[in-house]
Amino acid sequence: MEEYLRKYEKIDFLGEGQFATVYKARDVDTDTVVAVKKIKVGTAADAKDGINRTALREIKLLQELHHENIIGLIDVFGYKSNISLVFDFMDTDLEVIVKDTSIVLVPGHIKAYILMTLQGLEYLHMNWILHRDLKPNNLLINSQGILKIGDFGLAKVYGSPSRINTHQVVTRWYRCPELLFGAKLYGVGVDMWAIGCILAELLLRVPFLPGDSDLDQLSRIFQALGTPTEQTWPGVTSLKEYIQYKPFPGTPLNHIFTAAGDDLLDLIAGLLAYDPSKRVTCTQALKMPYFSNKPAPTPGPSLPLPYAIQNNQKPSLKRKLGDLPDGATQPKRLLF
Amino acid sequence: MAGNFWQSSHFQQWILDKQDLIRERQHDLAILAEEEYQKILIFFSNFIQSLGESLKLRQQVIATATVYFKRFYARNSLKCVDPLLLSPTCIFLASKVEEFGVISNNRLVQTCQAIVKNKFSYAYAQEFPYRFAQISECEFYLLENLDCCLIVYQPYRPLLLLLQDIGQEEQQLLGLAWRIVNDSLRTDVCLLYPPYLIAISCLQIACVVLQKDLKGWFAELNVDFEKVQEISRYIIALFELWKSYNEKDEIKTLLNKMPKPKVQQPR
Repeated sequence: MEEYLRKYEKIDFLGEGQFATVYKARDVDTDTVVAVKKIKVGTAADAKDGINRTALREIKLLQELHHENIIGLIDVFGYKSNISLVFDFMDTDLEVIVKDTSIVLVPGHIKAYILMTLQGLEYLHMNWILHRDLKPNNLLINSQGILKIGDFGLAKVYGSPSRINTHQVVTRWYRCPELLFGAKLYGVGVDMWAIGCILAELLLRVPFLPGDSDLDQLSRIFQALGTPTEQTWPGVTSLKEYIQYKPFPGTPLNHIFTAAGDDLLDLIAGLLAYDPSKRVTCTQALKMPYFSNKPAPTPGPSLPLPYAIQNNQKPSLKRKLGDLPDGATQPKRLLF
Repeated sequence: MAGNFWQSSHFQQWILDKQDLIRERQHDLAILAEEEYQKILIFFSNFIQSLGESLKLRQQVIATATVYFKRFYARNSLKCVDPLLLSPTCIFLASKVEEFGVISNNRLVQTCQAIVKNKFSYAYAQEFPYRFAQISECEFYLLENLDCCLIVYQPYRPLLLLLQDIGQEEQQLLGLAWRIVNDSLRTDVCLLYPPYLIAISCLQIACVVLQKDLKGWFAELNVDFEKVQEISRYIIALFELWKSYNEKDEIKTLLNKMPKPKVQQPR
């Protein structure tokens, strides 16, 4: 096992989550940068369940998934009573890009991001996997402009600005109405709704529906899209936690997204359809005219990156190497 | 997960070569005859089956646990970890992976104690010696030795599809073929061949036993029948072994002869 300690050289601490700590590391043999996620095992409370189930689920699924737009699990190794997962290293994520006001997102950029997301998600859905936690900071992007769906289960990911909101709140903004009404049975629609919200966010450059409670979330959805009725969404009133809302007429999508063309508005409307059975699937979405119409999606290498990454530097807010416990190695290749 | 078998870790990493398997077992086979080794593995497959049934697990979970067990010893000597400890560990891990839920640790250990005492007293004079802490540690070691490949494809689903294709109401045929699949877990076939071929082989054996003539249907299958025959030979060899083998009389001697870990605790 010691060979793994030699194989991966720690470069930086990236973040810590509920059940794991993530480091940026260098694979000594191939001289590539990877992300090592060290899963915490062995605290008294966890010990009775053995290996953490969430971690086990991630290992189990990622071991079988191979797609350009899904984060790759490169290696898994154990040391003492810890299990570590080695992932592709990703330079940034969509949340950073959306929030970076110095980046201009042109229609071709947005199309490229949504296209890559849908392709990865289609593959997941074809393998009967629901992601269930899609949001911009789980859409990771590397310096070649390739987007990969990841879920590090981290409250804080490298490069994401610290926020006062909890993980729960962030996720809520992308949660579909059937989940908010307490649906226990759901399908790919939950991921498709989230894609709709992410697409809207790319266009607006601010979160589309930033509710601060579950009730507020529903009310924001209805203000934007109109209150659903049994006619527009058959079965809605029989959902477990259905609450009657004041009828809002909703705002036409072309008033919300003033710069979007009709093909794009059709896609948004399909993704944000109330009736989950009528919401478009990935495969349907990818066949919509938006993706074949001009402009073409921007090729990966031409997609924008935050200034710090373009220049092969770390964002200033992560420049705190001093407090690393065991003197992680500084990246040695800063010359360009 | 009903993903793509051809891209799965099962197909790409865990369809082993017969020669490799023999090489990996060399250490144990220096001490045990090949048949004795098989008998020990059969005994522990029975143990896993019995433990799983006592815990009211689905056959899918039990089959996955059995494959984990076999994969582990395809890479390790029996002396690495006591199979009596690895068996419940496989059940414990498989239950989580197959989303059957976490088995409470007390229940797992108590069930082991109960079946060792009530069902396997002919093999073990003492009571089940392990605690949950050891199972928990062993789980970690198991996961690592499986190279974290946790999704196992079983012949049960292809078997159902094949029977659907045959078309008639074939409850008797399904029942027998299903049980032969269960039996096949006591051989090495799950390490050597893809599950859909195992399903075909089991179906073929069932047809012979029930004297059902489905030659025409089999002839239309576009598969490597050479391999199907190889699988059938393994399973028939198992049936032959069972004819003359009385586990109750022999297993104690075999377990004594089995290479054992030097220390009480694994690792």
